[in-house]
Amino acid sequence: MTGERPLDLVLLEMALLVLLGPLVTGTIQKLKARLQCRQGAGVLQPYRDLAKLFRKGTVQADTASGFFRTIPVLVLAATVAAGALVPVVQAGPPAIPFGDALLLLGLLALARFLTAIGALDTGGAFGGMGASREMTIAPLVEPVLMMVVFSTAVAAGTTELGALAAHRGSSWILDWHAADFLGFAAMLVLLPSETGRIPVDNPDTHLELTMLHEGMLLEHSGPGLGCMLLASHTRQIVTLGLVSALFFPVAAYGTDVTGLLLGAAAFAAKILVLAIYLALVESSYAKLRLFRVPQYLAIGFVCALTALALRIL
Amino acid sequence: MISLPPDQELLLTGTLLMAACYGAGALSSLLALWSGRLALGTGHLAALAGAVAGLGVSLGVLLGDPGRTLTQPLPDLFPFARLSLAVDGLSAYFLLVISVVAVAAAIYGPAYLRAHSPDAGAARQGAQVFALNAFLGCMVFVCSAGDALTFLLCWEGMTLASYVLVVTDDRDGKNARAGLLYLVMTHGGTALLLVGFLVLTERAGAFDFAALRAAAGGLDGATRTTLFFLALAGFATKAGVVPLHVWLPRAHPAAPSHVSALMSGVMLKAAIYGMLRFGFDLLAPVAGPLPASWGWTVLVAGTISAVLGVLYALQQHDLKRLLAFHSVENIGIILIGVGLAMILWRAEGAGGALATVALTAALLHTVNHAAFKGLLFLGAGSVLCRTHIRNIEELGGLARRMPWTAGLFLLGAIAISALPPLNGFVSEWLTFQALLGGASRFHGAAGLGIVFSAAMLALTGGLAAACFAKAFGVTFLGRARTPQAERATEAPPSMIAGMVWLGALCVALGVAPGYAMRLLDAPTVALLGGPGASAVVTAQGPLVLSTALTLPGTDATAISMTMVAALLIALTAMAWVLRRGAWNAAPRTVPTWTCGMSPTARFDYTATAFAKPLRFVFAALYRPRREVTRETAGTPYVVRRIHYAGEIVDLSETQIYHRVERGISRLSRAIRGRSTGRIYGYIGFVLGALFVALLLFGVGQG
Repeated sequence: MTGERPLDLVLLEMALLVLLGPLVTGTIQKLKARLQCRQGAGVLQPYRDLAKLFRKGTVQADTASGFFRTIPVLVLAATVAAGALVPVVQAGPPAIPFGDALLLLGLLALARFLTAIGALDTGGAFGGMGASREMTIAPLVEPVLMMVVFSTAVAAGTTELGALAAHRGSSWILDWHAADFLGFAAMLVLLPSETGRIPVDNPDTHLELTMLHEGMLLEHSGPGLGCMLLASHTRQIVTLGLVSALFFPVAAYGTDVTGLLLGAAAFAAKILVLAIYLALVESSYAKLRLFRVPQYLAIGFVCALTALALRIL
Repeated sequence: MISLPPDQELLLTGTLLMAACYGAGALSSLLALWSGRLALGTGHLAALAGAVAGLGVSLGVLLGDPGRTLTQPLPDLFPFARLSLAVDGLSAYFLLVISVVAVAAAIYGPAYLRAHSPDAGAARQGAQVFALNAFLGCMVFVCSAGDALTFLLCWEGMTLASYVLVVTDDRDGKNARAGLLYLVMTHGGTALLLVGFLVLTERAGAFDFAALRAAAGGLDGATRTTLFFLALAGFATKAGVVPLHVWLPRAHPAAPSHVSALMSGVMLKAAIYGMLRFGFDLLAPVAGPLPASWGWTVLVAGTISAVLGVLYALQQHDLKRLLAFHSVENIGIILIGVGLAMILWRAEGAGGALATVALTAALLHTVNHAAFKGLLFLGAGSVLCRTHIRNIEELGGLARRMPWTAGLFLLGAIAISALPPLNGFVSEWLTFQALLGGASRFHGAAGLGIVFSAAMLALTGGLAAACFAKAFGVTFLGRARTPQAERATEAPPSMIAGMVWLGALCVALGVAPGYAMRLLDAPTVALLGGPGASAVVTAQGPLVLSTALTLPGTDATAISMTMVAALLIALTAMAWVLRRGAWNAAPRTVPTWTCGMSPTARFDYTATAFAKPLRFVFAALYRPRREVTRETAGTPYVVRRIHYAGEIVDLSETQIYHRVERGISRLSRAIRGRSTGRIYGYIGFVLGALFVALLLFGVGQG
């Protein structure tokens, strides 16, 4: 088996994802601002926001139960744990088995479930509204994501992401089958939904008519909100990492320091491509009405189903 | 004294102990003549002893040499049949599932019954104790029956005892109607089973399973398939497979909560046991794979049940009814595994190993569902006995009043939503792996069908999470919406102990599932005759689950729930430090932001509102009916009062049952119109019918 990743490398990659998560958000914000002919905040703004939040005190709703304080901790832990399952600088399964794509989706779903619980805990209508909408969209996205994963997994014979990336190797668009194109198209449709962006959600607003994910964070404050935001940043980069592991090529750079640095640079380049895509989509489309979103997701479903059909038939 | 081999001795003592305990428990209902409280205590204690004995027997058989059958003749009660018990790996595994939940129910029961209905008379308490012990005893002997007669007698006993438990707590006549529907539906199912069994026993000339198996060997394909579908329909009625599920969401919530836990968590599994026993053992051809129609029917029925079960659960606001619909869903998930195992069984190449993975997934989900559904029903029972409200819209804010119950219910909710790191995820992961492996084996439409089933399973998981975010959030979080919820207090310790036992199982089976695979060896070997579960799934050590989707030897997908759980704990500790912040100041408490108005319980998001977007998305399946009546004061702009009524109909009820009902009514009206009221007309009709029946019989013989 090629490119087995030892445990310390896996943990290093996980830490890298957590550290780079806010940078991706900052980059997307900056790109969006430039596309809208604004100067925009610097790419490091999310880090400054986090540092500010972790220095602040906490204000808590009087209706919140004992769960409320632990929700941000558990959400952050589950999201970061999902980061350990994404291959970053190297392909190949980890030397010690951790988890596969299904476990990754499961951990992200756990984080989302706990966020919804936290939103309902304070007994405000905004939290409930956000939770209800998020839990409406999530069951529609998850099967499609799962089918995209299956469409590559059926070819590779495994659902382990490192092994999937190794199976794709360094081949890219020229070697792609029709199924790959369709799967990738489905993934591009789903990406704004999974990262909570336009046209499904709007990360920039706290207006109750438009928000999904932000609505669930309204009652969190101080370090708790910091944990939730860090979890959102991490979730975004983990999702982008999932796409890049499934569809982008991985070159074998070796396991020495230069190899790892080259791998990290290649990963950064792939994430940047996806970040530019997200910024472009956000700047050129309006947010869909909530009840239009299922139709939008249906495009992804059809693409994923066709991709699978092409793989299997 | 004749010395028996140790296995035989284990079975003999074990079954004697179980029979004695459950018998003593049933008899202790007589104590109710003296004191109802005493009867409750002794009866449940006896049930606990019986359950522990059951655990002992099943673990003894499961950890022993796989692939053997222990038999034990019973006293001759009937001149025409020899009764016996036969315990193989499959029986022992289901015995384990029953005993695990029975332990929790027996610990939980007495305090629950006293707290829920303190004014209950001694007669009712005696009846409940008697029926509970009879119910448990019959379930145990259904799964360890060695002949058709014992099986059917215990099956019937199980139905009757649970019927008694369903109708004991009748306040408004609703439960009696639910019980009647339950009785009618399950007896319809039993009738089908009876036909299946009688055809086999008539050929075999004996009742024991070994003779039936031998007789089934000579059947032709069409008869074999007909018999299988008869048995399948019979068992599916009991298991609550869509569209035969209509009794389930009515009868299960009507029983006392610990009995609901047993009915949902365990009794449905007796039907799964029956399906496995018929499909893989009694009716299976001597060599070669099962007919393709069997597995595909089970797979399709399972997929439909899983999706429709969770969709209807989503729109329920009665906590126990919601849980009952989730049983329909989980039976569907189990049947997906069973169906896939039937399709892949005895297929060439890696198919055998894949069939083992599919069956392992189904059996693991059986025990997982028993654990988390038991836990959730007990949690719902704790809420019920403190508030006497089942409608979650009228609850709320219970997490601060009942922290233990809330925490354990949340644990069960995470487990049933198939979220890691708990047990529900593990069995669904195995099901997904088996489905993917099956899809890569079958090309063409079959493969696509299997993958579609996998996508539906993913949809089911997501919807279950949405449903339990609703159920937990609206019941336990926010503000109390009624005085009863305001006054609720924590459940008694013995009830919490029963829940902790099941909660601990959910965690253990989720974090270290590899150790449970050892218990699955015996049933998988007994049924499939191929490699055992632990050889296929835990090939890389007990902490790692691995399956090969394609040929053995190529890259296997491996996950380690233990590693992930350890990572989660470490990360939680780190995040906790981060959460404390730089100052670790105590949080300032202020009212929730409600746009400047003073917050009341009416600001809480209701369950109806929470589920509304999904009601719109799946409107084609729900056919929602809503009625809004406005009461205006002269002009349409001044609204005095708005009355809103909404309803979701169960499609199978309106499309199938109501049509059948209308058909029967029409037919009986037509017959009434033709009735003359003259007695010789009827006698002539009876004679004519007899003549035709004899004629048909003669043609059939000839």
